[in-house]
Amino acid sequence: MNLKQLLSTIKIEADYISLREVKTTSSYVSVRNEVLEGVGSLIDHGLMVEVMIKGQLAYAATNSFMPSDVQKAAEVARDSALAAHRFGLYHFNENVRPKIVGEYKSPATKGIEHFHPGDLTDLLMSLTTAMKIHDHVISRSASYTIAEIDSHFVATNGSDVKQSIVRSNIGLSATATSEKGTQKRTYGDDKSAQVGVELIDKNKFLSVANKLATEALMLLEAEECPSETMDLLLAPDQMFLQIHESIGHPLELDRILGDERNYAGWSFVKPSDFGNLRYGSSLMNVTFDPTVIGQNASYFADDIGAVATREYLIRDGILERGLGSLESQKRLNLPGVSSQRATSWNRAPIDRMANVNLEAGSSSFDQMLGSIERGVFMQTTRSWSIDDYRNKFQFGCEHAQLIENGKLTKLLKNPNYRGITAPFWNQLKMVGDISTFEVGGLTNCGKGEPNQVIFVGHASPACLFSNIEVFGGGK
Amino acid sequence: MEALNSSALEIFSQKIFNELLADEALTISLSAEETLFTRLSKAKVRQITNLIQAFLDLTFVKGNKTLSFTIPFRGVEEDVILAVKKIRESRTWMEKLPEDPYLVRPAFYGVTKEENLHSLPKNEEMLNGILDYANHVDLAGVFSSGDVVRATINSVGQFHWFKTRNFYLDYSLYNEKQKAVKSLFAGNEWDANALRVNLKESEDKLKMMDRESKKIERGSYRVYLAPSAVSELLGTLSWGGVSMGEHKRGNGSLRDLWEGKKKMSPKFSLTEDFSLGMSPRFNEKGEVSPSVLPLIEKGEFKNFLTSTRTANEYKVESNMAADWEGLRSPVIATGTLARDQILKELGTGLYLSDLHYLNWSDRETARLTGMTRYACFWVENGEIKSPIQDLRFDESYYNLFGDSLVDLTNFAEISPSTGSYFQRDVGGTKTPGILVSDFKFTL
Repeated sequence: MNLKQLLSTIKIEADYISLREVKTTSSYVSVRNEVLEGVGSLIDHGLMVEVMIKGQLAYAATNSFMPSDVQKAAEVARDSALAAHRFGLYHFNENVRPKIVGEYKSPATKGIEHFHPGDLTDLLMSLTTAMKIHDHVISRSASYTIAEIDSHFVATNGSDVKQSIVRSNIGLSATATSEKGTQKRTYGDDKSAQVGVELIDKNKFLSVANKLATEALMLLEAEECPSETMDLLLAPDQMFLQIHESIGHPLELDRILGDERNYAGWSFVKPSDFGNLRYGSSLMNVTFDPTVIGQNASYFADDIGAVATREYLIRDGILERGLGSLESQKRLNLPGVSSQRATSWNRAPIDRMANVNLEAGSSSFDQMLGSIERGVFMQTTRSWSIDDYRNKFQFGCEHAQLIENGKLTKLLKNPNYRGITAPFWNQLKMVGDISTFEVGGLTNCGKGEPNQVIFVGHASPACLFSNIEVFGGGK
Repeated sequence: MEALNSSALEIFSQKIFNELLADEALTISLSAEETLFTRLSKAKVRQITNLIQAFLDLTFVKGNKTLSFTIPFRGVEEDVILAVKKIRESRTWMEKLPEDPYLVRPAFYGVTKEENLHSLPKNEEMLNGILDYANHVDLAGVFSSGDVVRATINSVGQFHWFKTRNFYLDYSLYNEKQKAVKSLFAGNEWDANALRVNLKESEDKLKMMDRESKKIERGSYRVYLAPSAVSELLGTLSWGGVSMGEHKRGNGSLRDLWEGKKKMSPKFSLTEDFSLGMSPRFNEKGEVSPSVLPLIEKGEFKNFLTSTRTANEYKVESNMAADWEGLRSPVIATGTLARDQILKELGTGLYLSDLHYLNWSDRETARLTGMTRYACFWVENGEIKSPIQDLRFDESYYNLFGDSLVDLTNFAEISPSTGSYFQRDVGGTKTPGILVSDFKFTL
C-alpha cells in the first residue's frame, strides 16, 4: 500500500492529517593504523503521523506500516491533540500547512549501491599508510560514510512531496605524540555534501592524508599560540563553525520565542531587531539557501511542506530575517524561511538551519594577508563553546600561523580565540573573494527537546577580523 | 508494541541463530522505547509526540572477520526476513574484507532479566498535574514518560534484558527579566505532592533571581559548584577523559594522571558504580561490568574504562566498558562539607548551580571551557547578594579536583540522564557539590 492509500485508510476526526515516511539507508567503513576497524550498515524506516484538531498539532511515530498500526498511531495523536488543546501554546490554522506537490533528488551520481566495502577498505588502508611518515604519528584514521535518505510527505490537503538525498563524506585524522605533547590534524568533519561514491578521488585524498600527518608532526615542534589581542584571519573550515554557532543558532525563531530555553538556550536577538540590528560590519552578507546544488542541506521543501527559497538573513551587516518555520512566523508575525525540519521519522519538525552561507566578498587571500601587521591565521575547528544566548564564545583550532608584516611566519599550536557575537562580527574587516570560498556541511547539529541531530550546510570565504583576543594552550 | 516484550526478541533471535553456519556467531543488541515527549514553553504545550520505536544492532562474526548492521524491529516475521537478507549480504561483503586482529568473539556472559515497571498514571493525568499546577509560572522544558528497553542476546546463550518505566520533567522557570532556575523531577513512581513541592522550591529559588544581576570581572574566584554543575563537569570526561583507547591513541585528556606525572586531590575519588541502578551493567556485547570500578582513587589513577576490543589491541585487561568507553553510572565520593555550611565556607565568591556547553579547550592540560547558567549567585561573607551575569570559565581538571579543591559536600545528588538523541537515554550520575578556592573566569 502506498503512502497516499495509507493516509486514506485513517479514520479519525481531524482538521488535517499528514504522514511523513522516512527511510534512511547508510553504510560505513573505517580503518585505523592499517587495520579495518569497522564495517557496517543501517536501515532506519518509520512513519510520523501528524494531526491538527482545533488548531492543536500532535504527533505519533511508529516504525510499523501496517494499516492497523498506523490507524492506532493516528488515534494516539488525535487523543494527544485533544488532551493538549486546553494547554496549547498557540492554536494554528491550515495556513501553516500549505498544499505542496513536488520532488527533489540530490545530484549524487553513484548512490549507496556503489558502496563496495572491500574496495573502500583498500582505499582507506592506503590513506592511513600515507600518514605513516614517522613513529610519532601514532594514530592514523580514515573513514567513509554514505547515507541515502528517502522521504515522502502526504497530507489531507493534497500535499505530496518526495525527496531523495544521498550524502557522503570521507573523514581523516592523524595524531602525533612525542615528549613535547600531542597534536592532531583532521579532515572531513565539516565536508559532508550531497555527493555519492563519486566523491572518492584517491590521489586527492592521499595528498590530504600526507599533509595531515606532516602538519601534526610539525605542530609538535611549534610555538604556543601567543596570548594577545590582534588581527585574526579565519579559514573557511573554521568560518563554518563561526557561522553555525554565532549566526545560525541565534537566528532560530524558536530560540527567540523561548521554546529552546531549557535545553539549547535562548538568543540575544529580539523580535524587534529584525530590520534594525547591525549584526556585523557592512561587508557581512548571509543567506539561507537550500537551493545550492549539492550542498549538504539542499532540498525542495521542509518537513511540513514549505517550499525552499533563497533568502537574505543579514544584508550589508543588517539583520533582515530569522530561521523560522511557518509556525514561528505566525507566532512572531515576522518573515522566516522553510526550515521546519526533523531528524527523522521519529521526531516532530522544529526550526533548524539548512544551508546558511556567508557570501563571498572582494578581497583576495593575499590582499587580506598583506593588510595584517600582526595577527594569526587559524584553520580547522578543534574546540567550541558558546553561551545559551549565543553571545560569549570560545573556539579553538587545530592549526595556526603567525602573521607578521603581511606574511605568514611561525607555526603555532593550540590556537584559541574568544569574543562576543555582535561585536565580533562588527570587527569583520575584510571578506575573501570567491577564490577563497569553500562549501561545507555538518552532520551533527544538536538541538530540541526531545533531542534531535540534523545535517546542515555552510559556505564561506576566508575572513579577516580585527582586534580579537587570541590565546594558546597550557595552564 | 510486541518488540518491547522479551519474548519477541528471544523468538526472533532463535530464528536468526538457526541460520548461522558453523564458523559464524552473532550478537544482537536491542534498543526500544514507548515514550511520550511533551515540549513545554510558558507552561503550555508547544509540541506533543508519542513514539514507539525499536531497533536491533547485529554484530556478525564469521571466522576471524566481523561487521555490524542495524535494522528496525517490529516483532514480526518481516524482521526475520530482513535480518537473514542482511546476514547473506554480510557473507558476501566479508569475502573481500581482511581479518580483524582485535576481534571480540561473542561469549557466554550469563542470563539476567531486570524489569522495573512501576505503575504510572496515564500520561494525560501526569501532564494535567504539571500544567494545572504550573499555570501561573513561566516554565520551559520537556515532560517525558514511558518504557525503555536495553537488551542483548548472542548465539552462544548469553541473554540480558533491562526494561524500565519512568518519567521526568526536565524544566526551568523564568522571571520577567528572563533569569532562570533549573530543576528535574524524575522517578519511577508518580507522586503529585512531591511534584508540587519540587515546583514550589523552584519558584522560591526564582525569587532570588529578581535582584539586579551583578557583572563579575574576569579573574579567579572562590567558587561553590552545586551537584548539578559537578555532574556537567563529569560529562566531559566521557569525551576521551576516562577512555583507555583514547589515551592509547593519544587523544585522552588525563594523560598526565595516567602516567603518574600528576595527581589530583586526595579528597577526590571517582568510580563507575552500577549500584545506582539506573543503567544496566551489561554493555552492547552483553559483557557485564564490575559492580563498582574505581577510576580515580584519592586523587590517583586507578583504572580507565577499557572495552574488550581496546584490551585485545593494546594487550591490557578489559573492564567490560562499552565500546565508546564513556561513563555510564559515575559516582564522585562525598566529602565533609555540610549543606548548612556551604555559604559560610564559600565566604566571598560565586555559587554556581549549573554550567552550560562544556568542551575541552586544551586536552593536554585537561583544560575545559564552558559557561555559567541558571541560578548562579555572587556571595559575600557567607550571604547571597545577587545573581550574576553569565561568565565563561576556562580551567583545568587538575586545578578543580586538585590543588584548588577545598572540600566536597557530605551529600550527593542523583541526576538521571535526560538525553534523547536517537533514543531515550538510561543512566545517570551521582555527584556532591564542591568548594574550589581558585576558579578562572575569562570572559
